[in-house]
Amino acid sequence: MRVVIAEDDALLRAGLELLLRGEGFEVVAAVDTPDAFLAAVDETPPDIAIVDVRMPPTHTDEGIKAAVAARRRHPKLAVLVLSAYVEESFATDLLAEGTNGVGYLLKERVGRVERFLEALHRVAEGGTAIDPELVAQLFAHRRADDPLDRLTPRERDVLALMAEGLGNVAIAQRLVVTEGAVHKHIRNIFAKLDLRPTEHTDRRVAAVLRYFESTGR
Amino acid sequence: MPDGNDGAVVRALRDPIDALARLVGGLGTAVLALLTALVLIVVGALCLVGVGLPLLPWALAAVRAVADRERQRLSRWGEEVISPYDPWPGGWSARLRAAARDPATPRDLRWLFVHAVFGFALGLFGALLPLLAIEDLTRPLYMWALPPGTVTTSVGIPAGGWTGMVSSVSLGAGWVAILVGLGPAMARLQARPGRRLLAPHPGLDLSARVAELTATRAAALDAHTAELRRIERSLHDGTQNRLVGVTVLLGAARRALKHDPALADGALEQAQSAAEQALAELRAVVRGILPPVLEQRGLGGALAALAAGCAVPCRVSADVPGSRPASVDATAYFVVAEALTNISKHSHARHAAVEVRQTRDRLCVRVEDDGRGGAEEGAGSGIVGIRRRVEAYDGHVTLSSPPGGPTVLEVELPCVL
Repeated sequence: MRVVIAEDDALLRAGLELLLRGEGFEVVAAVDTPDAFLAAVDETPPDIAIVDVRMPPTHTDEGIKAAVAARRRHPKLAVLVLSAYVEESFATDLLAEGTNGVGYLLKERVGRVERFLEALHRVAEGGTAIDPELVAQLFAHRRADDPLDRLTPRERDVLALMAEGLGNVAIAQRLVVTEGAVHKHIRNIFAKLDLRPTEHTDRRVAAVLRYFESTGR
Repeated sequence: MPDGNDGAVVRALRDPIDALARLVGGLGTAVLALLTALVLIVVGALCLVGVGLPLLPWALAAVRAVADRERQRLSRWGEEVISPYDPWPGGWSARLRAAARDPATPRDLRWLFVHAVFGFALGLFGALLPLLAIEDLTRPLYMWALPPGTVTTSVGIPAGGWTGMVSSVSLGAGWVAILVGLGPAMARLQARPGRRLLAPHPGLDLSARVAELTATRAAALDAHTAELRRIERSLHDGTQNRLVGVTVLLGAARRALKHDPALADGALEQAQSAAEQALAELRAVVRGILPPVLEQRGLGGALAALAAGCAVPCRVSADVPGSRPASVDATAYFVVAEALTNISKHSHARHAAVEVRQTRDRLCVRVEDDGRGGAEEGAGSGIVGIRRRVEAYDGHVTLSSPPGGPTVLEVELPCVL
């Protein structure tokens, strides 16, 4: 799989390269500015781009802007954005134009290599990867009469993993339950939250995020 | 029983004692005023022959110092008298022009001469009252031991025999009566020129001072914001990235452990050095916020430690008793650290000297070196940072660095925030 890395911290860039090369990825470019990133993507569109949020010149949200711009130019491009901290507005900007092939993770998730690679593959294949921390934040601000309160704790776990972008198989593995049990939980969740049932993972993430969007604030 | 008769007695005693303390205090500033007035007259005479002009700003600064002392004294005893001066500009001719423009200058001078004469006389009289009273009241106890005919009271009346004894005691009682009856009025009279002339001119537009304070306050808030941003950035982009690097490299090492132990070892080595870098950056961030050495050793000890680590031999003299706001010490420390870095890097100096003094309400920092001079603001020197941080605290920075040296950096920081 061909990867472009945009990260302005030299050590982190080298670490990512080392890790991905070791896992058999082809790192076609590792750059440190948004402009160099866009140029690299234009030259050889990769399967996935890994982009740091804070990059020169202002070190605020250049990475998000670059990721959005790159996806406008190459709609099929999968982008995984890495951030030092969770900022909902960054995620909103990033996910505004669709959740297919988009990921938003905290930087330190990279250290848990297996999960990180799982998320990387999921995004590269057109899925979604949302950081559990962001999902937790979305859960955190709820209204008093939120239908989420009607969910059982287990259903809430399933909903959180769905929001992260995991498929049924992965959810079943994480929670150590059968796929059939996950199916049942998801049906219940959609019924309780009054969402149209859909089994397709990426549309499901969008639906869940829209749910949070509409009720969460 | 403060409300009983005792209370009344205490009150009756307190007023004259208070008045006496004020008169004596006034005598102190009057002596200073007298000396300063003499200096001023000498300098004035030198000006007439043309050589006194450069001395004039110095003499006027002395006038201001004495006037400020009187303002403090008056503020202690009653309504606060605010110092009306703008900060002195650099250079003697600029100071002279500033003093000539300042409406406070003629008022200061009028006060100086009035206080040097009347304040002095009143103060002296007031201070003598209790001495005279004690002398006259106690004379009957020892006058019999003196040769007759030589004994006189404090005002020169012969004090021999019974009549003399009576007149001496009644004279002593008279002094006490004057002190009790007129003391407070005398103290008020002595303070009057100061209260009238040393307060800001009634027509003086304080809006300039208000604007300055508003601006410095805004600058302090800006500096605070900039400081927080700097800390946030160095934590996120420095320390945190290093730690993320550590986790990434550890993750890579764990994956490599199974199939390529040599690669794993390399990654672990890198992870360790990244963790060490994270620690170093964390230390730098913490030092930038509030150097721990300041808390442990105080400003003097912290500066001595700085000087010991300086590449250029550096002498430190620090006269900084008491405690100041932590931010003032931290700023002074920052100033000296920056200045010594500059000296090591750019000055080619053989010696440097750091002097820190605490006056009543200011901390004065002076850093001098015998290098090649020509230090400029901007040009990557730390002077801009120094100025920004000092001015945020309403302080002043003066830099003198002629080509060929020496370079002198002087910083004044208000200690009362």
